[in-house]
Amino acid sequence: MGPFSGRKPKKGSAVTEEKKASKIVCENISKTFIQKGKQQVHVLEDIQLEVRSNELLVILGPGQSGKSTLLRIIAGLETPSEGRVLLDGKPVKGPGKDRGLVFQSYMLFFWRTVMGNVEMGPKLNGVDKRERRRIAQHYIDLVGLNGFEKHYPHQLSGGMKQRVGIARAYANNPEVMLLDEPFGQLDAQTRMFMEKETERIWQAEKRTVLFVTNNIDEAIFLADRIAAMDGKLPGRMTRVYDVPLPRPREHTDMEFLELRQKITDASQLVL
Amino acid sequence: MSTQSVANEIVKPVSEKGPLTVKEVITNEYFLYVVSFVGFILAWHFVAAAEILGKSLATPAATVKELGRMMTIKLAGKNLLGHVWASAQRILIGFSLGAALGVPLGLFMALNRYVNAVVKPVFDLFKPMPPIAWISIAILWFGIGEPSKVFIIFIGSFVPCLLNAYNGIRIIDEELYDVVRVLGGNRWQEIFQVSFPAAFPALFAGLQISLSIAWTCVLAAELVSARSGLGWIIIRGMKLTKPELVIGGMAIIAIVAWLTSLAVGGLEKLLCPWKRTIKGL
Repeated sequence: MGPFSGRKPKKGSAVTEEKKASKIVCENISKTFIQKGKQQVHVLEDIQLEVRSNELLVILGPGQSGKSTLLRIIAGLETPSEGRVLLDGKPVKGPGKDRGLVFQSYMLFFWRTVMGNVEMGPKLNGVDKRERRRIAQHYIDLVGLNGFEKHYPHQLSGGMKQRVGIARAYANNPEVMLLDEPFGQLDAQTRMFMEKETERIWQAEKRTVLFVTNNIDEAIFLADRIAAMDGKLPGRMTRVYDVPLPRPREHTDMEFLELRQKITDASQLVL
Repeated sequence: MSTQSVANEIVKPVSEKGPLTVKEVITNEYFLYVVSFVGFILAWHFVAAAEILGKSLATPAATVKELGRMMTIKLAGKNLLGHVWASAQRILIGFSLGAALGVPLGLFMALNRYVNAVVKPVFDLFKPMPPIAWISIAILWFGIGEPSKVFIIFIGSFVPCLLNAYNGIRIIDEELYDVVRVLGGNRWQEIFQVSFPAAFPALFAGLQISLSIAWTCVLAAELVSARSGLGWIIIRGMKLTKPELVIGGMAIIAIVAWLTSLAVGGLEKLLCPWKRTIKGL
């Protein structure tokens, strides 16, 4: 077997071989959408997935593979047709502040400033003004938007808007962060920059992260593990890859490219 | 741990401007406003003085003179300002009632499908009727006093307010509600934190349209045997064949309507601070 099977402890980490607790478990998730006119769209089929505490798991799949739907089911915005999602062993019943979501099209509140957007989570949950301003400021600084608190979304570039989205999700202190192709609308260079920022932010405040993307380089750069979905509907989870590469990673590292080749080959076989 | 801001924006001060060039002046928007307006007045004067449309068009000079006369002389017990206030009062009450009923109802209909199912069919039936068509009903119900005039203006204001409030909610991106849900908000918070603020632009557009319609209704309203007001001045001008009165009344309506429109615009700027920095709005 190749160098990527089995589990190796990360370099420099004090983690033992003991299995980390599962934060999220997807059991037999299937989803069928019924469009008007009785057309059935079978989007997900028998998804089994296990996400460990504080790991960064990437769901990788080409467009229209159902991965966004899976993320929305985990977020609680959709209900599965079959199966269920367990968070810390308890079934997920709907959306909640324990799972934060970063949207592909940013979805910022255009009538609120950066500060107004980021403090929204604590505000909805009854935190008083001074405290939530303090919390929001911390995350605005963390994502690198210090000085832009009073700006409105229409005054920001795409990358900045998404950083607001990330800060907004983080400020609510969720146990799990869900990111739905967050950099899909950005150009290639901004995207690479944001990937590095994502890793920096995750390292600064560790929590369980589920990241959905169609970009294989992005996946290998960020992931502790990659769950690959094939491209046909209904979406199925084909393989889960361990990515024990030491951080920070370079797109040109030997092991990076080897894993990239391996995943690309595997996905071509499933046609 | 605080990080440096990594946004790449560099703000440079605006460079010094040299003396104005002719081109800059000609292409300036405010200059063009003035040129257009003056041009219109001149064209009006020419057409009126040359009596191209017979004696039925008064010159700008004659109109202004007549209006000036009316500032001091009382017509039916009021000078010009008194008439302005008489119309403005009816507009204020009628428009406020129309907005106070139309906006909440429109919002309610958009947010609750049962209310929508009950109200919409009846509303759609009455929606296309022009306010002027309500005159006879108004007289039947309210007599020929002030209430029937206010009623006409109310009808005119009510429809656009409701429609724009309704549509304002309907065009909101559904995913914005998802954001509230994943942040842990409930349905009430969805409504108050997303639906209302996001609908404001459409709401204010509705108020502007409604106000403009209210002013056009003033004439129809004052057909119901009024004895004061700007519409009455126009009617009197028609009856006595004094074109200066007709045009003067129209001009004053235009000016006062513009002022009230500015007031609504000012309110919008106050309540929608995020629009202040968008150019062209």
